[in-house]
Amino acid sequence: MRRSWLKTLLIFTGVAFMLAFCLVPFLYMVVVSFSTTPEFLTPGVPFKFTFDNFDAVLVGQSLHFMDYLRNSVLLSLISAFCCVFIGSLAAYAVTRLPVPGKMYLLFLVLAVSMFPQIGLVGYLFKFMAALGWINTYQGLLLPYIAWILPLSLWILVSYFSQIPIELDQAGLVDGCSRWQILYKIIFPVAVPGIFSTFLLAFILAFNEFMYALMLTTDYRTRTIPVGITMFQGLHGQTPWGNIMAASVITVLPAVLLAIIFQRYIIGGLTRGAVKG
Amino acid sequence: MISTRLSSLRLAESICLLLILLFLSGCGQKPESTTITFAVGGAPAELDFWQVLIGEFQDRTGIKVDLLRQPTDTDLRRQGLITSLKAGRSDPDVFLMDVAWLGQFAASDWLEPLDTHNDLDLDVFFEKVLNLADRYQGHLIALPVYVDGGLLYYRQDLLNKYGFDKPPQTWSELLRYSLVIQKGERETNPDFYGFVWQGAQYEGLICNWLEYAGSNAGGIVFEDGRIILHTPANVQATQFMHALIHIHKVSPPNTYTEMKEEEARTFFQQGNALFERNWPYAWALHQSEDSPVRGKVGLAGLPHFSVGPSVSTLGGWHIGISKHSDAKQKSFEFMKFVLSFETQKRLALELSWNPGRRDVYTDQQVIAALPHFTRLRGVFENLRPRPNLPYYTLISQVLQRHLNAVLSGNSSATEALSAAEREAQTIVDRYAQ
Amino acid sequence: MPSRNLTSVSKSAAHELRTGCLFILPLVVFIVLFVLLPVLGTFINSMFQDVSFVGKRFYFFKNYEHLWSDPGFFKALKFTLLFILVSVPFELVLGLLFAMLLDQHIPFRGLLRGCVLIPWAIPAAISARTWELIYNYSYGLANYICLTLGLSTQPVNWLGTSVGAFSAVVVADVWKTAPFVAIIFLAGLQAIPRELYEQGRIDRANSWHMFFRITLPILRPVVIVALLFRTIDGLRVFDLIYVLTHGGPGGSTASVSHYAYMHFVSGDFGYGSAISVVLFVIAFVFSIVYVKVGRFSTEVL
Repeated sequence: MRRSWLKTLLIFTGVAFMLAFCLVPFLYMVVVSFSTTPEFLTPGVPFKFTFDNFDAVLVGQSLHFMDYLRNSVLLSLISAFCCVFIGSLAAYAVTRLPVPGKMYLLFLVLAVSMFPQIGLVGYLFKFMAALGWINTYQGLLLPYIAWILPLSLWILVSYFSQIPIELDQAGLVDGCSRWQILYKIIFPVAVPGIFSTFLLAFILAFNEFMYALMLTTDYRTRTIPVGITMFQGLHGQTPWGNIMAASVITVLPAVLLAIIFQRYIIGGLTRGAVKG
Repeated sequence: MISTRLSSLRLAESICLLLILLFLSGCGQKPESTTITFAVGGAPAELDFWQVLIGEFQDRTGIKVDLLRQPTDTDLRRQGLITSLKAGRSDPDVFLMDVAWLGQFAASDWLEPLDTHNDLDLDVFFEKVLNLADRYQGHLIALPVYVDGGLLYYRQDLLNKYGFDKPPQTWSELLRYSLVIQKGERETNPDFYGFVWQGAQYEGLICNWLEYAGSNAGGIVFEDGRIILHTPANVQATQFMHALIHIHKVSPPNTYTEMKEEEARTFFQQGNALFERNWPYAWALHQSEDSPVRGKVGLAGLPHFSVGPSVSTLGGWHIGISKHSDAKQKSFEFMKFVLSFETQKRLALELSWNPGRRDVYTDQQVIAALPHFTRLRGVFENLRPRPNLPYYTLISQVLQRHLNAVLSGNSSATEALSAAEREAQTIVDRYAQ
Repeated sequence: MPSRNLTSVSKSAAHELRTGCLFILPLVVFIVLFVLLPVLGTFINSMFQDVSFVGKRFYFFKNYEHLWSDPGFFKALKFTLLFILVSVPFELVLGLLFAMLLDQHIPFRGLLRGCVLIPWAIPAAISARTWELIYNYSYGLANYICLTLGLSTQPVNWLGTSVGAFSAVVVADVWKTAPFVAIIFLAGLQAIPRELYEQGRIDRANSWHMFFRITLPILRPVVIVALLFRTIDGLRVFDLIYVLTHGGPGGSTASVSHYAYMHFVSGDFGYGSAISVVLFVIAFVFSIVYVKVGRFSTEVL
């Protein structure tokens, strides 16, 4: 009895620590975003509640927050969609069709995901500059898709390889083409896998920083992560309230996604990292 | 099977087509631009000012101007502009540059020469500033919007109280005054220090160091592909900076960890220091309504060592036009508008900036509102630039690290300067033609 | 109609091959155009002096020669390696702890897992700005906690000193990535057959023994995967540094990626490329070592 009590206590303390560790910075962000001043922790400065920060971020033109948000959401959605689509085609081929050297392809793709981004961005910049694509959506989208495809492929391959091959054969017997089998038979069965891939690809694109930093020059294509580093004040006075309000608006969807779809995200992450 | 082939073929085809189309779309020529894009950063009040100014310019000329808001952080602004310029973007057309970047921008051939436009009256600008910063290989490539220089702020009331009749002329006088007054003031205010300046590891440290070194007849010497930092004059000046903190203890111990412009300004403004080295912007803030030192502050040129003159590091922002601009003539019109007497006067009155035009400093209305301008003019004649090297930022990084090590007591001035010289030389060698 | 099916299968071998190739074609095109080509381009570019204010000319290995005598580069390399050396063990230990907690039968397990995912799901740039505020010298949360709990008597100048900035970066990185490690470990834990623990309990092994005799050995391949992922990711650390410390104070927290980036934006693409190539090679060596040491290929694939 004593042992199990001890165990419960240990687990409880551990969970409390874990929650504090993970949530405190996030909660701090939320609190500051509703405060008139970030200095409420210093003695003598009271905490006063306000919506002004959100108002400034949502309505104020000069911060370009809404532009950044639109760019981020659009780019991440399109990237995730393309990654799932292109990744599914390839994953289907790798798991079902006689493609020569598919093991090499998987390894190549794995190796590619280990590349440091800095090794690509210098040349990508020159490439996009030569095409006149710096600060355009396509100039950011194409590298994003290529960057996220490896992970998408691995997750999808791991899901697809669990779908019985008999389903395909039944489809072939019915005279379906491979393409029809993919979207009529495999897609409906693999919805959870596709959904986790989509979520992960979306989060990866949404969080990407270095390409966005180097391949965009202004609010017309700049994404949130880069935009938020541009929120600055004069002589070291940073508009913390605005930054935190913008952060809260940005991360709220991500936080909700993480909590609601944790099962899918964890599934995807696990399959992407440890081949399931 | 045929349908498989067809659909997958079609798919692959359409993806390839899409790619090709995208590629082609990039190659098309862009039409001549009817609007110009002006990149500028700063505090909200400054951006609001530019917004108003742009509106007026639009009303007057019919030329539409897009304001491209940049961050305040100087290095982020530089990186942003370089990305656009290096990529050959036609936007922004016209922008403000820190004086320390001009070397790099000019040498990279990103700036449109301005001398072809002979309707510019160059005599109204500080000749020294033009020669030090805005000319590159015989061409005028930028013009000063706003001039900055290091100044000495002092507490007039305290000098009077202890019987000193004028601000210190030399560094040893500054030290003597500081020691006496610090000792006296500590009895009522234990947090009181003699002298605050910028010693944290950042660009401002270089600006401060150049003023000590320059006033000891030293500085950064660059000749025949050799960079020289390790000289007796520089060592002595650096040792003096170290001594202010560690031996005489007239500068606070956080000088080398935290002191940047704002930290020094608030320290002084709270009444905790006798002297302060800062840029002109601090004046208006020291004299603001809620400032504890309002009406007690004096302004002077920086002190010097016995062998050298008083030196102020040249700072400030300059306006230039991109070589890739697709609206150069319109940009030039805008630039003329920004540099006009009226606009420059408003810059001074509304933002208390120090205009690049000399004639604003003699304007009666300006002097009435900003009496310290009469003294600034004299200071701006002693301006000393940072080395005009295209890779200056890299050299600065090296020097910042080593100088800060001296100030923190982790390294001797001799060691640090010879190490900095060696490291800086590797950078110089890398870019030797 | 079995006969039709049979003939079409034999006839279709070539078509199937073709379909397969067409299906992987878009992926290959993307990877080649936007990953492999840029890598090759970076390598070629590292052989050039390519400086906006000097011009472009063939340089052969001269950039690498300069690199060899560049104290700034070695400082960045030293920082990056030290950063991995300190942060990765923390991440693995915390990750394992979290994974074991999440593996317990506790109420609201799904919600808890979601909460643990939050640090990972927030863009690094955004969390870095929050950390920047947390580390603020005069009113940040970190100093408030330190002073309130009596951990220090003076406010700590987190971002202004080399040691402070280093710890600040490590803490922020551990916060963001420990959850990721936890998720990977969780999968590994769940794959351990419960019978093993039952058997252990029958043999009267205590929890400590079971952890070291059963859990860790079975988890070994997963630990290696996490180690590999975290090391490679740590090697290329950029956004956190860029936002939180700008590589400062005075270059003391500049990572290799940041150092290369600073050269790109100083207009020196040749040198920046050379730095990137070196980082590339280091990452490659690390993966080879892990794969060899961990026999990654045989156990995991």
